[in-house]
Amino acid sequence: MKHTPKAALRTGVLSATVLALTAGLAVAQEKSVTIGLTADPSHLYPLAGEELSSNIMYYHLYDPLVKRSPDLTFGPGLAESWENVDETTWRFKLREGVTFHNGNAFTADDVVFTVEKARESIRPDLVANIASITAVDDLTVEITTPAPYAVLPNDLAELLILDEDYTTETGDEQMDLQPMGTGPYMLEEWIKEERLVLTAFDDYWAGEPTIDQVTFRPITNPATRTAALLTGEVDVIQDLSVRDVERVKSEEGFKVLTRPSLLNVVLAMDTRAESPTIEGENPMTDQRVREAIARAIDVDAINQIVMNGLATPSDQFVPSSHIGYVDGMNFREMYPLDIEKAQELMAEAGYADGFTMTLDATNDRYVNDAQIAQALASMLAKINIDLQLNIMPKSNFWGYIRVPTEQSSFIMSGWDVPAGDAGSMYGALFYTRDKKEGYGQVNRGSYSNPEVDALVDQADATPSIEERDRILQEATRLLLADIPMIPVHYEQDIYAAREGVSLTPRVDKFIWAYDMDVE
Amino acid sequence: MLGYLLKRLIQMTLVLWVVSVIVFLMMSFTGDPVFMVVPIDASDAEIAQARRLLGLDDSLPVQYWKFLTSLLQGDFGRSYVFRQPAMTLILERMPATVELVLVAMALAIAVAIPLGVYAGANPQSRISRVIMAGSLLGISLPGFWIGMVLIYLFAVHWGIFPSSGRGDTVEIFGIRLSILTWDGWTHIVLPAVTLSLATMAIILRITRAGMMEVGRQDFMKFARAKGATRGDVLYKHGLKNALIPVVTIFGLQLGDLIAFATITETIFSWPGMGKLLIDSIYRADRPVIVVYLMLVALIFVVINFLVDVIYMLIDPRIRLK
Repeated sequence: MKHTPKAALRTGVLSATVLALTAGLAVAQEKSVTIGLTADPSHLYPLAGEELSSNIMYYHLYDPLVKRSPDLTFGPGLAESWENVDETTWRFKLREGVTFHNGNAFTADDVVFTVEKARESIRPDLVANIASITAVDDLTVEITTPAPYAVLPNDLAELLILDEDYTTETGDEQMDLQPMGTGPYMLEEWIKEERLVLTAFDDYWAGEPTIDQVTFRPITNPATRTAALLTGEVDVIQDLSVRDVERVKSEEGFKVLTRPSLLNVVLAMDTRAESPTIEGENPMTDQRVREAIARAIDVDAINQIVMNGLATPSDQFVPSSHIGYVDGMNFREMYPLDIEKAQELMAEAGYADGFTMTLDATNDRYVNDAQIAQALASMLAKINIDLQLNIMPKSNFWGYIRVPTEQSSFIMSGWDVPAGDAGSMYGALFYTRDKKEGYGQVNRGSYSNPEVDALVDQADATPSIEERDRILQEATRLLLADIPMIPVHYEQDIYAAREGVSLTPRVDKFIWAYDMDVE
Repeated sequence: MLGYLLKRLIQMTLVLWVVSVIVFLMMSFTGDPVFMVVPIDASDAEIAQARRLLGLDDSLPVQYWKFLTSLLQGDFGRSYVFRQPAMTLILERMPATVELVLVAMALAIAVAIPLGVYAGANPQSRISRVIMAGSLLGISLPGFWIGMVLIYLFAVHWGIFPSSGRGDTVEIFGIRLSILTWDGWTHIVLPAVTLSLATMAIILRITRAGMMEVGRQDFMKFARAKGATRGDVLYKHGLKNALIPVVTIFGLQLGDLIAFATITETIFSWPGMGKLLIDSIYRADRPVIVVYLMLVALIFVVINFLVDVIYMLIDPRIRLK
């Protein structure tokens, strides 16, 4: 790079080197990295809410009992090991010698406190599958679940442990500004909307972090984010704009990193006898009509034209890393683009002349969401479905489409399951509505299939992961045949970095400096 | 004067009240903020709990009544998203915006007044035509485009200025200022130029129009006849009499830029309060929007008051009633 603005010179690398040299010591160079994010975090207190930037901060500052790896495997975190005492009771052995940033020891009481605190907070969903928790001794907790629940450890990967004494003393509001966890980094400075600086916690239980100082800068405008990378003001950027990909690739000294995300963009079809935006009876109660719609949608064209090739067409409802994924099954091969076949199916079902309905979609939630909706309208026109578009910002959308979904027939939204398990998704999206508390609450198409319900029940009643996987795979087969919903594609996460930064994008998008290195 | 102040105060209270009512009504159309806070698969019980924690379980009139009563006790409400006092969120971002706007306005005046006076005094000269053409560009080019072009040229291509952020700051009386450090200045130049261009063009055109108008008056010829230099005639006699509309527009622009510098702030990642407004609108974060717009109304009232006072200073014949 020809020009190095002063901003880059300012950063710790240089001053630290100078210091080390003047001291005449051969100490290792202080490493620092600056990361350009799309937004400033809203919170530093894990029980105050969740969104991506906040999540990224949480996992630097705090630790969960169970740690989620970059590719969604689950292993020991603050808990060293765990076992099932009986079908609904779990015993977690906690790690010894872990301290919070203020020096307080981490004990079983902190875990119990965190669970109880979460229940009263805005995130009771974090502990929805915990019936009770008790501290057996200082380093052992016993958790019971309301029913056998094989994936409890996966859920616990999202519960970040708080320091009981400190949190009680500090209060919820100040916790957002003065976080205190056991994580690999401590908060150094947070100037809202400008920068958030973390420094390494040298006593971190898994070993001192390689990078000593991490600075996060919120740069909302995508073009500015690219510019900040190219000028050397930041080392890594999140969410490189699609139109800048070629530009950054062609620039010497920079690299582009991509990874399919977990976010599956899906189309939910109403299966009630009468649907709010369709006149007369609802054609989509007929599986053939649903199949025709699936066959009329050219996912590859959407990928090439709307998404610039930066999407991965979905093969099932969950990615291959998840429990419940069926190897070798592919929605795209089951129902490839075939307009003639789709027309035949429509005719067989008695809808050769098509029908009119409305698609509800967002314009600020998913990558190019409004354009995808427009593309769908022209694709479905080929099988005589007159698709009206009802596009709105996400602040209106979630309330509008909410179950009991009294205004929608056809909805485009996204779904991701960072817990690595199809069960919670199937339970929420496909379980018959109003049948069981905590199930079917997002079943916007009012899909109801007793066989699927039974399989979800079975999966949620077995304490064995293998058994759960087998049962959920069966549910996947049923659902792919019955098509209550059309999976479209996974968005691609795109990062860019200068050469010399080693970064492996995580499936859950949580950039984690502890796993990074810089030269 | 006292009567005038009192009248202004009553007006202001009325304006602030109307703003709060309008925003409250408006927000009932923009979607339910609780869905911005809970996970999308939240159960009804979880949503009810969030609603209760956010104080959204009351009906709209009750919420408004609670808002008004706590307002009178100095409590401006809490952001649904940040769970922090709305006023704190705005005030901690305000210095950055005010600083940027003041630099931009100073720049606008420093360039626009002399050029405007020149163009008004020499309407036929070629330079005047170039100035006027330039001012048209300044008015018609959108700020976000100018901002991106400046970043591309001065940051990416030539590497003279950094592309974004506020740089080093110095804290004075608890307020962080970047104009006191060299690094801060390098960061403020591009956003300030971007922000100032439109205002610069408007002030330039109004100054020119005023000068042309004043130039035809008899007292200008007399001033020259009594032996004042050309510069004195233009600036002391001419400009002073052309200044009233300039000051009016300046005041309005100042308020406008402080309140809605959003686009420039977003492009340059300037940590000001304009971005907070936009984010809050997207997130249906009503407490922040209400307080923000009330604060903006207050700023406008105060600026207009100051403008009135300045009228008196410029033209002693004007009295405030």
